[in-house]
Amino acid sequence: MAAVIMILLVILLMGLGSYGMRAIFILALADKTFPPLALRALEYVAPAVMAALVMTMLVDPGEGGAPSAAEIAGLVTAAGVALLTRNHIYVLVTAMGVYWGLGQLL
Amino acid sequence: MNNPPMTLSDYRRRGVLDALVLTLPAIPFALVFGLTVRESGLAAWLGWSTAPIMFSGAAQITLITLIGEGASLAAAATAALVVGARHLFYSFSMAPVMQRQPSWFRWCGPYLLIDQVFALCVDKRHLPAAEFRHYYLAAGATFWSFWMVFTALGLFVGPVIPEGLDISFATPVLFMGLLATAIDGWRKVVVAAVAMAVTLALLDLPSRSGLLLAVVMGIAVGLVLEWRRSS
Repeated sequence: MAAVIMILLVILLMGLGSYGMRAIFILALADKTFPPLALRALEYVAPAVMAALVMTMLVDPGEGGAPSAAEIAGLVTAAGVALLTRNHIYVLVTAMGVYWGLGQLL
Repeated sequence: MNNPPMTLSDYRRRGVLDALVLTLPAIPFALVFGLTVRESGLAAWLGWSTAPIMFSGAAQITLITLIGEGASLAAAATAALVVGARHLFYSFSMAPVMQRQPSWFRWCGPYLLIDQVFALCVDKRHLPAAEFRHYYLAAGATFWSFWMVFTALGLFVGPVIPEGLDISFATPVLFMGLLATAIDGWRKVVVAAVAMAVTLALLDLPSRSGLLLAVVMGIAVGLVLEWRRSS
C-alpha cells in the first residue's frame, strides 16, 4: 500500500514535470520581447526537433543500425509528396506504399 | 488556394481531421503502453493514470517499464524526465505565438503540447490568434481522447494489430511530411540533416538524451550558417 502511494506521488510529480516542461517558456516569456538571436534560433527549433524525432522513431538504441533502404525511400517519398500536395492522406498512402512495396522486393 | 474564407468551425474540423490522421498510426503505440502496464505488475488503474496525468507516451512507457523492472523511483523519474525534455523546445518554439493568446490558453494549452500537436501547429503559427487557438484545441482534444481510450483498451486487449502489418512506420512518415512542409530555405535542410545525423550518432546515449544534443547542434549550425552570410 505504501508502495502504491509512493508510486502515485511520483506519477503526480511527473505530471507536474511534464506540464512544467511544456509550459515554462510559454508562461515565462509571455510578455517579454525576444532578443534577435532568440528569434533566429526559434526558426530552427522545429526543423531540428522534427528531424531528430523522425530518426529516433526509426532506429532503436542498441540496434546499432541505420534506417533500411525501404525506410529511407518511404521518407523521401513522404517529403516529396508533402511538398507537392500538402495533404497528409496522400503522404501516408504513397509513402507507405513505397515502403511496403520495397519491403516485399528486397 | 484562397477559396472561401475558413470560419472558426472550419478550423476546428480541420484540426480534428489532421489529428485523426496522426492518431491512426499511433494506435499500436497506445496498445503497447497498455501491455507495458500489465507486464510491470502495477495495478492497471495506477499505470493508466499516467495517461491523463503525464499525457506523454514515451515518458510514460519509460517510467512504467523502469518501475516494473525494480529500478528506484528516483531513477525511473529521472529517465522519464530526460525522455520528455524535448518538450522544452516545443515550449520555447511556441512562446512567441502564445504571446498573442489569452492568458487562460497560455495556462491550459501546454498540457496538450505533445509531439503531434506541436508538429501540426507550428505550421499554423501565422494564423490569426483565434483561428490558431481553435485549431490547436481541436487537434489537441482529438489526440487526448484517442490516447485515453486506446491506452485503456491496451490494458485489456494487448497488441491486437497483426505482427506482419507494420503500420508503425506511418508515424515517422507523417512527421517527415510535416518536417518537409516546415522547411523553407536551404539552411533548414542542413539543420534537419545535422539533427538526424547527430541523433543517429548518439543513439546509444541513455534516455534518448542524444536527441536533445542533436537539436541543440542543429540549431547551432543554423545560426552559424546565418552568421557567416551576414558577416
